[in-house]
Amino acid sequence: MFRHRWSILSLLILVICILLLVATGCDDSPVDVDEVDEGEEANFLKVGIVGPMGFVQGDHSWYGAELAKEEINAAGGINVGDKNYMIQTVMVDTNELQSVDDAVSAVERAIAVDDVDLFIGGFRTEAVLPMTEVAVDNNKIFMIAGAADRSLLEGRVDVDYDRYKYLFRIAPPNNIELVTLSFILLNEVANSVRAELGIDTPRVAILMEMLTWNEPLVQIAQQQIPAMGMEVVGVWRPSATATDISTELTEIQSQGAHIIYMANSGPVAITYGRQWGELEIPACSVGLSVENQKAGYLEATGGYGEYDMSLNTYGRAAATEKSIPFWDTFMETYDDTPSHSAGTYDALYLIKDAIENIGTIDSEALAEEIANADYEGALGRVVFDEVHDVTWGPGFVTGFSNQWQDGELVAVWPYEWSPAEGVEITYQGAVPYKIPPRVIDYWKDR
Amino acid sequence: MFSFKWGFRFMQKEFLSLPSRIIIALFVIGLILLPLFTQDPYILRIFTLACIFAIFAASWDFLAGYVGQISFGHALFFGIGAYSTAILNLRLDLPHWMTIVLGAVVAVVAGLLVGFPALRLKGPYLGLVTLAFPVMLTGIIFLFPDFTGGELGISGIARLASTRQQEYYIAVIVMITLITVLWKITVSKYGIIFHAIREDEIAVRASGINTVRYKLTAFCLSGFYAGVAGGLYAHYLRIAGPGLLDILMSFQVIIWTILGGIATIYGPVVGVFVLYPLLEYMRVVPQYRMLLFTIIVLLLVHFMPEGIANWVRDMLEKECPRCKERNVFTRRECRYCYAQIATKK
Repeated sequence: MFRHRWSILSLLILVICILLLVATGCDDSPVDVDEVDEGEEANFLKVGIVGPMGFVQGDHSWYGAELAKEEINAAGGINVGDKNYMIQTVMVDTNELQSVDDAVSAVERAIAVDDVDLFIGGFRTEAVLPMTEVAVDNNKIFMIAGAADRSLLEGRVDVDYDRYKYLFRIAPPNNIELVTLSFILLNEVANSVRAELGIDTPRVAILMEMLTWNEPLVQIAQQQIPAMGMEVVGVWRPSATATDISTELTEIQSQGAHIIYMANSGPVAITYGRQWGELEIPACSVGLSVENQKAGYLEATGGYGEYDMSLNTYGRAAATEKSIPFWDTFMETYDDTPSHSAGTYDALYLIKDAIENIGTIDSEALAEEIANADYEGALGRVVFDEVHDVTWGPGFVTGFSNQWQDGELVAVWPYEWSPAEGVEITYQGAVPYKIPPRVIDYWKDR
Repeated sequence: MFSFKWGFRFMQKEFLSLPSRIIIALFVIGLILLPLFTQDPYILRIFTLACIFAIFAASWDFLAGYVGQISFGHALFFGIGAYSTAILNLRLDLPHWMTIVLGAVVAVVAGLLVGFPALRLKGPYLGLVTLAFPVMLTGIIFLFPDFTGGELGISGIARLASTRQQEYYIAVIVMITLITVLWKITVSKYGIIFHAIREDEIAVRASGINTVRYKLTAFCLSGFYAGVAGGLYAHYLRIAGPGLLDILMSFQVIIWTILGGIATIYGPVVGVFVLYPLLEYMRVVPQYRMLLFTIIVLLLVHFMPEGIANWVRDMLEKECPRCKERNVFTRRECRYCYAQIATKK
């Protein structure tokens, strides 16, 4: 008994010692830091890529940043006078979808242990708020690429500029603009229905997953759609994880809807795409679907998601000359289409340009420079407004709308988009929107 | 009476004679001296949050471990404390020491509300009812987004203190004070009644003790502690969001307590101070972080089913078969009654 206790205690002490040794060893070489050959003369700009890694939002943040880093470093890095900075990306896995304090600790660790110079990313607003507090406490630039809520910047940058001047958002356009964009897309589809099917007042079914983020959208849509010359036939709110929504879709069909206006971020988007095609629901599908944006969507829906249409931050059309090459490279490298969190790509390039313009990586000077940036990226023309939010609109970042046509995700908007009288915008590479043939067959003779 | 000699003998006989007490003393001293050795904001953050979660975990341990009122929705009190603190601070501009106390008082009221159904329910039924309360509160939060911040929560709350070191010391002092008070309650005569309610409520009632009053008191006290933790958390992270009411938050506190050592009060503190920094440490291997952590938790449950604190104490100390006093395991005879307590194999 006596020896037994001593041996267990000795073992315990040994394990603690090993852990301590490993801990001291790991401090200087965290394994989540991307490997770059650090020569004695080399200078490095350490960029923390923030996101829930292992989830599409975090992974695309990382992918976008990695692509930009590879390209910039291959071209010689960031030139600052006679110095060259190579970019080193540090994966900041925030676990933010599950724990806010975990996310904040990850950012703090990136500053204290990894000595990160600035941050890009962040997806969940509730976590991004305190993460950005830590960043500004340490005078670090935090460029949001993922979280859309306007309140991340409004009420902060404009109220206490000295403290929050380090915060920016490059993608996606904020939640208010996203709503506007989704109504524009709905209007485009309605115009197609009017023109091709001869229906003056298209009937719209609102189908949005039962989550709080789209609650305001449901309310606004019910008021706004009639004002746009359409009729709302009903609102359906399936669970975000529903595996069967055939009842809802059948009811939508029985209500005579011509268009389904949807907003689904969860797995229900797959269920929806599959059953919408499988049940041959005679209604066009438009709105926001996170799953629709992925390369594997059509396969996941068994091919039934064909003609489903969703807004996106990126598309295979030329908002600028960088848009299509970025889309193709991303697809080629990661076998996936870029989602809005891949805005890290443009963020890194924009920061590179800003550093080269001012010749320093000092956060304060960099924040001033970024605030006045006018940068053409794969997203479009990036200019920040008075609260450091990306400007949305014609001539700036507009976003895209992509539709699955003939097994490919193609950009269908902006295509002959007329935001003002006498103005028409078509991005090169965008193709016309197609009403699903079954919808035409169903409604043509009625 | 309290001469130096008396103090020395007391230390020697009562305090230094038991390794568990020495460990506690070293832990407290270590916490107090930590900022003298490191100013690293990351380390201070981890230990500050550990202090806050230790209070939260101890509150669950008191309610479930001591009184036997199993709560699966303990995040309710934490969330209410955080939200009340945030609202009071932002809307009324009250100082943080006041908002935290008032937030905890609101959590006490919540404890009363939850406590009433608990009077008629036991075991899994009580667990299910308590599980429903955070879900209900989340619904209420989303119902009044202008007041509660809705999905985004309430941000922009005043900092707990102006520097990280001050924040750390506030959390440490509050934690040590509250845990000591709670521990003293559990070893007092009231603690015995709480304990007895868990073991056999009918017998306690038959003894003429008003168990309703004690059970409601336990809910209120537990709510107060969790409310204080929630208030500290809100001021520390400067946000109170619906994520605080997640089911994960409620289960996290159970995991900390059970792995630390249930029905001990100090066990949850050990659980939090071992598991929370351990999870942070695992960031060195981000890809396998959760997997490794889960394996460690499983191993702990397997080899230390009574919890880390109890396992360590049982390894270092043994109970006298005659007088039931604890002695260091190297002793062969009891330090009180000199009964034989060890046989060398």
